[in-house]
Amino acid sequence: MTNQTKSQFVAVASITSELSAVMVVAKEISLAAANAKAIAFRAGDKAKGFQPITDFINELAKETIELVTDINIHALVLYRLTVNEFQKTTAYNKFELAAKMAGDAVYANTMQEPLDNARLSMQDCQRQFKRDVSQLLGQLEAVMHHARAARVIAANSRIEASQAGEYLQSLQAVAESVDKAAHTIHDNVQRCRIALSIYRNN
Amino acid sequence: MKMTKIYEGSHQWIMFGRDESKPANIIDTNQYVVRTADRCLLLDPGGAELFAPMMAAVLHHAPVDQITDLFASHQDPDVISSLGLWDQALTNAKLHAPAIWEGFLRHYSCESIEYVPIPDNGGTIKLGSVELQIIPAHYLHSPGNFHVYDPQAKILMTGDIGAAFEAPDAPVFVDNFTAHVEKMRHWHQRMMPSNQAKRVWIERVRNLDIDILAPQHGRMFKGDDVKRFLDWFDALQVGIAV
Repeated sequence: MTNQTKSQFVAVASITSELSAVMVVAKEISLAAANAKAIAFRAGDKAKGFQPITDFINELAKETIELVTDINIHALVLYRLTVNEFQKTTAYNKFELAAKMAGDAVYANTMQEPLDNARLSMQDCQRQFKRDVSQLLGQLEAVMHHARAARVIAANSRIEASQAGEYLQSLQAVAESVDKAAHTIHDNVQRCRIALSIYRNN
Repeated sequence: MKMTKIYEGSHQWIMFGRDESKPANIIDTNQYVVRTADRCLLLDPGGAELFAPMMAAVLHHAPVDQITDLFASHQDPDVISSLGLWDQALTNAKLHAPAIWEGFLRHYSCESIEYVPIPDNGGTIKLGSVELQIIPAHYLHSPGNFHVYDPQAKILMTGDIGAAFEAPDAPVFVDNFTAHVEKMRHWHQRMMPSNQAKRVWIERVRNLDIDILAPQHGRMFKGDDVKRFLDWFDALQVGIAV
């Protein structure tokens, strides 16, 4: 196995690992939203501006979870494709070697068809891999977008929390928790993108 | 890869082995090919490392599209880990292999090749007018293990039975049975787990008319050495590691 193939396997496998952390954090945001909603309800008019924000946070968390679930399915497909590409490349290299070793064997020329087919299969896999990587990068970008939106919401939440009198601390804690979660999602997804982006144009 | 024709009649048997391009740290193996007018059967086609030299050697005898059948005596990697590569090279082939190993062997990838499961009591492989018998050899050494007997050529391909480990340039036939015994003793005592299975197998193959006994490693036995081997193996205590 070449170093590039090894890196490809590691990159694809690491996506699943990073995304499972994202999933945990997204669920935490969802929990924070439920918590915020309860506080805002208790705060009544003092947290009037905060109430629609909690729904928005919850929706954002839900969408992130759905996106990550979908990306995980694609990451699995990408992993299978990586295995397939490795097998096709190995076969092509072995067939090429067999054709060379056959030299002047009576039926050496009959190796040409399997060799051509193996090359086409290998190239198909490589093209498919690049296409799937581009698609996955697009989906990751969507998660990043959600993370950025969550940070904006966190900033707004802080402003609204400052109007909430004795509920200020509780609501600020919610805002901090959303902000921290958004940071984590951003960083994890960014690592996925960096790991994959070298394969988009390779 | 050394090629030795061991039978020439209505069909041919060719032994392939002593591969000089083989990495030193992998076990040396013998592969056998049964070639008919328009078909070709590879017996224990070998490990993935061996695929390219084996394919290159077979191309001296048959075109790729006439490699129609593979046989795996059991599931070991030196026997059949090349399956995934044959699977991509051959478009119209069957793998005859023990039924109990199907789910295991498919880990090597077997998508275009048809897996023909061999039941425990054996069966036949028909290559046009040539019919080969599949002889059960369970627990020798694998729990699901078969040998191939050709009644016309009087050749019994015996997988790991009769195996010995030799220098890369060793002759392909045993020429001094007494001297050869020590090259086989530990292998058979250590790798063959059951004296009962051994006795049953010996009774079974003593009924066959055998000119050549062809193992997957080392040298083949011919003529009187076949009986010498069966007598020696009969008297040997196996399964010594417990």
